[in-house]
Amino acid sequence: MAKTFYLEIIATDRVFFKGDVEHLVITAIDGLLGILPGHEPLVTSLPTGELKYMIDGEWHYAAISEGFIQIMPDRAVILADSCELPEEIDIKRAEEARERAEEQMRQKQSIREYYETQAALNRAMNRLKISQKHFK
Amino acid sequence: MPNIREIRERIASIQQILKITNAMYLISSSKLKKARTALDSTEPYFYKLQETIENVLEHTPHTRQLFFDRRSDIPDEKRKKGYIVITADKGLCGSYNHNILKYTEQTLAEAPDIDNCYLFVIGQVGRMYFQRRMNSGGNAAVDGEFLYTTQNPTLYRAKEIAERVIAKFEQHELDEVYVLYTDMINSNLQETRTVRLLPFERRHFGKAPDGTMKKLPKAAFLPSPEKVMEYLIPNYAKGIIYGAMVEAFCCEQQSRMTAMDAATNSAKEMIHDLSLMYNRARQAAITQEITEVCGGAASLNK
Repeated sequence: MAKTFYLEIIATDRVFFKGDVEHLVITAIDGLLGILPGHEPLVTSLPTGELKYMIDGEWHYAAISEGFIQIMPDRAVILADSCELPEEIDIKRAEEARERAEEQMRQKQSIREYYETQAALNRAMNRLKISQKHFK
Repeated sequence: MPNIREIRERIASIQQILKITNAMYLISSSKLKKARTALDSTEPYFYKLQETIENVLEHTPHTRQLFFDRRSDIPDEKRKKGYIVITADKGLCGSYNHNILKYTEQTLAEAPDIDNCYLFVIGQVGRMYFQRRMNSGGNAAVDGEFLYTTQNPTLYRAKEIAERVIAKFEQHELDEVYVLYTDMINSNLQETRTVRLLPFERRHFGKAPDGTMKKLPKAAFLPSPEKVMEYLIPNYAKGIIYGAMVEAFCCEQQSRMTAMDAATNSAKEMIHDLSLMYNRARQAAITQEITEVCGGAASLNK
């Protein structure tokens, strides 16, 4: 039995995951970050990206959008705006969101609007990428 | 003896109102169901967020981050305080609006200088109330452009609100920001509550399990505390505002449902009483008529 730590992933609309995992890989601001049991206390923010965690030697994947993680040696908490399994992603919706965002990017926008559209586009692309990668 | 026609008209008008209150009861109970599920799924996030942030702040090393700037050089009575107040969009929900408005008034009265209080009101009822108060010489300023509804809270709306408030904080238009909302403790119990949003306070010491105060160990921040906080705090503000909105919306529906149920019941009671009175009056009128007819007949027979 491999060493584990307690992971909680909580999204604004539901408790996504609670349980012991052996290994967690997150996308932090400047790249991938692997976390094993006994990690030093760490806080970092998570941009929109991919997340995977290992239970009993098996990887589980999820799409995550904007949040942060607090890591302690024996536990970790992820709080995110949304978190979905690859098979839960609505490809049609993500596709539409991407098109809408791309269309808006072509228009003249204020800087704030531009950042917002960029974030929306990011989320849509991330969903599409993850669902294509892990769910056929 | 009350007039028969008058009673009949009153019964009719009560029946009309009964229909309205009953319909509102049904609407709010179905909305409540929706709000309840939203609350149940958001509550873990809302509480965990507060808990985690508290925990994170205990482990935060010294930063020059803007959101931690307490601006202690500004004296207490000069500090500009912002209050985000969450009320309902319409009335007819018992004491819900009254409670939160009274609570806000109280908070304002306790503030060292009411002229430096700024209100950001979500929901029609509260906005109208405070705007009227401001126009009639009250001194807490209401942001007239802050127009948001309390109906069906979304993360997007919460984000917009958070961004606006944070921008004001950054431009030194506000020095402290609080959220005032109604918390749902259980279906019968609601409580008005204040949550501080900005600035953040770093704690140097925490209570150890044995009750003594000890210096807290610092956690690492990747890539740097400033960078993480720059990202984390808007996120936190958004989460807190969203959670508060969900709580408040659920409370509103709950109070409306209870209020409308009570109104429907008392309308039914009134109709019952009035129809008793109506029947009595009708009987009295008939009896009187019979006596009159009998009396008339008797006087003819003489």
